[in-house]
Amino acid sequence: MVRGRGLVILTLAALFAFACGGTSGGTTAKGTIKIGSDFPVCTTGGQATQNGVKFAVDTKNAAGGVNGFTIAFTGFDDCRQGAYSADAGVENVQTMLGDPKFLGMIGPYNSAVAKAEIPIAAPQHFTMISPANTNPCLTKDIAGCAYHPQDLRKGNANNYFRVVTTDDFQGPAMADFMYKTLNVHSIGILDDSTVYGVGIAGAFETEFKKLGGTTTHSEYQKATTSDWKSILLKFKNAGATGVYAGGTDDQNVCIPAKQMKDIGWSVPFAGGDGIETTNCIDEAGANDLVMSSTSAGADATQIPGAQATIAAFRAAFTGANDFGGYTMQAYDAANALMAAIGRAVTDANGSTPTREQVRAEMAKTTGFVGVIGTYDFDANGDTSLKIVSIYTVQTVTDPTKSTGVCGKLHPNDCYVWKAQVNYATGG
Amino acid sequence: MSPPDLGFFIICALAIIGLAYEAFTQPTAFVQVSIFGLADGAMYALVALGYTMVYGIIELINFAHGDVFTMGAYIGTAILGFFSFNENSFTAINLVALLVVFPVVMLVMGAINIGIERIAYRPLRNAPRLAPLITAIGMSFVLEGVMFLWHGPATVHVPDLLPHGPGFQTTIGGVFIGFKDVFVVVTAAILVTLLAIFINRTRLGKAMRATAQDRDAAQLMGIDINRTIAATFFIGALLAGAGGMIWGLYYNNIFYNLGFRTGLVAFTAAVFGGIGNIPGAAIGGVLIGLIAAYSDSYIGSKWTEVVIFGILIGVLVFRPTGLLGMRVPEK
Repeated sequence: MVRGRGLVILTLAALFAFACGGTSGGTTAKGTIKIGSDFPVCTTGGQATQNGVKFAVDTKNAAGGVNGFTIAFTGFDDCRQGAYSADAGVENVQTMLGDPKFLGMIGPYNSAVAKAEIPIAAPQHFTMISPANTNPCLTKDIAGCAYHPQDLRKGNANNYFRVVTTDDFQGPAMADFMYKTLNVHSIGILDDSTVYGVGIAGAFETEFKKLGGTTTHSEYQKATTSDWKSILLKFKNAGATGVYAGGTDDQNVCIPAKQMKDIGWSVPFAGGDGIETTNCIDEAGANDLVMSSTSAGADATQIPGAQATIAAFRAAFTGANDFGGYTMQAYDAANALMAAIGRAVTDANGSTPTREQVRAEMAKTTGFVGVIGTYDFDANGDTSLKIVSIYTVQTVTDPTKSTGVCGKLHPNDCYVWKAQVNYATGG
Repeated sequence: MSPPDLGFFIICALAIIGLAYEAFTQPTAFVQVSIFGLADGAMYALVALGYTMVYGIIELINFAHGDVFTMGAYIGTAILGFFSFNENSFTAINLVALLVVFPVVMLVMGAINIGIERIAYRPLRNAPRLAPLITAIGMSFVLEGVMFLWHGPATVHVPDLLPHGPGFQTTIGGVFIGFKDVFVVVTAAILVTLLAIFINRTRLGKAMRATAQDRDAAQLMGIDINRTIAATFFIGALLAGAGGMIWGLYYNNIFYNLGFRTGLVAFTAAVFGGIGNIPGAAIGGVLIGLIAAYSDSYIGSKWTEVVIFGILIGVLVFRPTGLLGMRVPEK
């Protein structure tokens, strides 16, 4: 009987806790509108990006919400066993679609996840804005794509937008940087066999060959490779004086940077935004200073107008790795979505809009003033900003002022902004 | 020779001819790849020994063994956290840390593996053979889950304690050899030699051999079966723990489900050498390491898994006793 009573008390306590949880928020007159995010929160990059969305929502609610509504934010995690999973992403989107209060989402982070989520979200007119997807095939029907944007959308109006540019700019930007600035004319290319890795490595290779360089290409799969030394040796013997890594850190693409040194071969190791992370610097160990990366957008720290926002963010999120390469992109994406929701509320005469109204307003976005610039979205959902930033890992004296992320084990080794290439102006 | 045997023979012959061609045309690269393969193979061998010993004595494929290996590296990294050494140069404190960490990790893993045997396998000793196999897989998930909760999914850095850098590496005829490569192979060879002496020369080793041959007869002769089996798990985990620590020090990056793949490869090595056969597991480990390195270099790393598990299937189908023959009595 004592046991039974304990159970009753526990149950009551649980109910009480839930009841309390349910009543918080919703203080504005009209109620709440939910938006979600879907990132691999288990990674430092995913976590830092989610922080950007949370910061945007908190700031907006503190300023009175959107057109009378409070925005309730839920951050979903698409990690499974320590790496992003398209299946987990699809489950998260289905959860959001199942709750009519969700009118849009920020995410996903990984292109392979977007490829799986868009076909689920498009028929429901559910707005998705990615702050980090860079695979061009998600929005553009270009040669070499294994799938097509119109198929992903299943004949529905476009529901997918992104505030970053694509790997068909990111790969070539690094190819130019390596060939012209680092004087690497022969390169070993490694890809992690994912949608993102194959795409960006291919874009890099095309441009590098066009410049007159020679390439050796090898791919691997996370599940089956823990020793890259034989592959690296193959590159070395082919005369390569650099390595390009198409992949993400959660697919272990940065461990070869460490193993290069183990075989007495320390040459430039470059990649896309997938290696611009804290984990990556740590995994490269003592060989982290050979690394360079690109990021598919302008660096917020280089934009004078963004400084106040970054300072406010840093005051709210004080952890060393809370700010990442796509935090401000996520902040912008969330604000673009909330602005569209605000206009859709007006369209719905002040009541809760439909998902289609939000999607239609999002598609109409023009001259959006974000912290990373002022931009539009084209009919495919791509941003008019075509900027790629280039970073190299350097030892800095004050990591808190670093432009890019820093390591945990080597807290003074950080990605430092080097240059940016603007493809919109042909520069 | 039956047609399938002939086909298997032809594939092996072609592989050897292909390797001989590479060795002849690019000897430097071939020797270099062989060194990588040898170092990997030495680590696989240490794990394979645990599989083969347990199979030899209770005919259980202990699928948790790969995770015991990984946990060795995790616990070793935690112990190394107590030392303040310098990763960039080899000093006395590094040597002390190494001398402390190996025995401690090995003993801790031994104790954990005895616990696993007591909880998950002993109660099922007389159950159908599928039952302990399933608890073994369950144990594997439990260990992975513990490591996941402990350090999360990201890669864990193992301090670069071993001597490395310009003073500890050499190039002989264009072939790069680091101290780490030598360390891995020598340490593994010492451990395997000690194991062989133990099995062949000591009373407990004799008891283990007797139990493997005929458990009931051994019991009638006054051998404590439970104690002998526990000792087998203990020794298997000593080697796996040391293997995990060596792996961590060699690669400096470990992750919670590292043992899944490493375990499967080591299991293949054990089957290749003849499951239940201790020298077979050691030789199988080295061969699998070499084959994996050759496959990475000459075929392409995406085919390596196909090659390794193709060997597993090939051996099971065409030569179930492995290279050196099974040492398991027919029942």
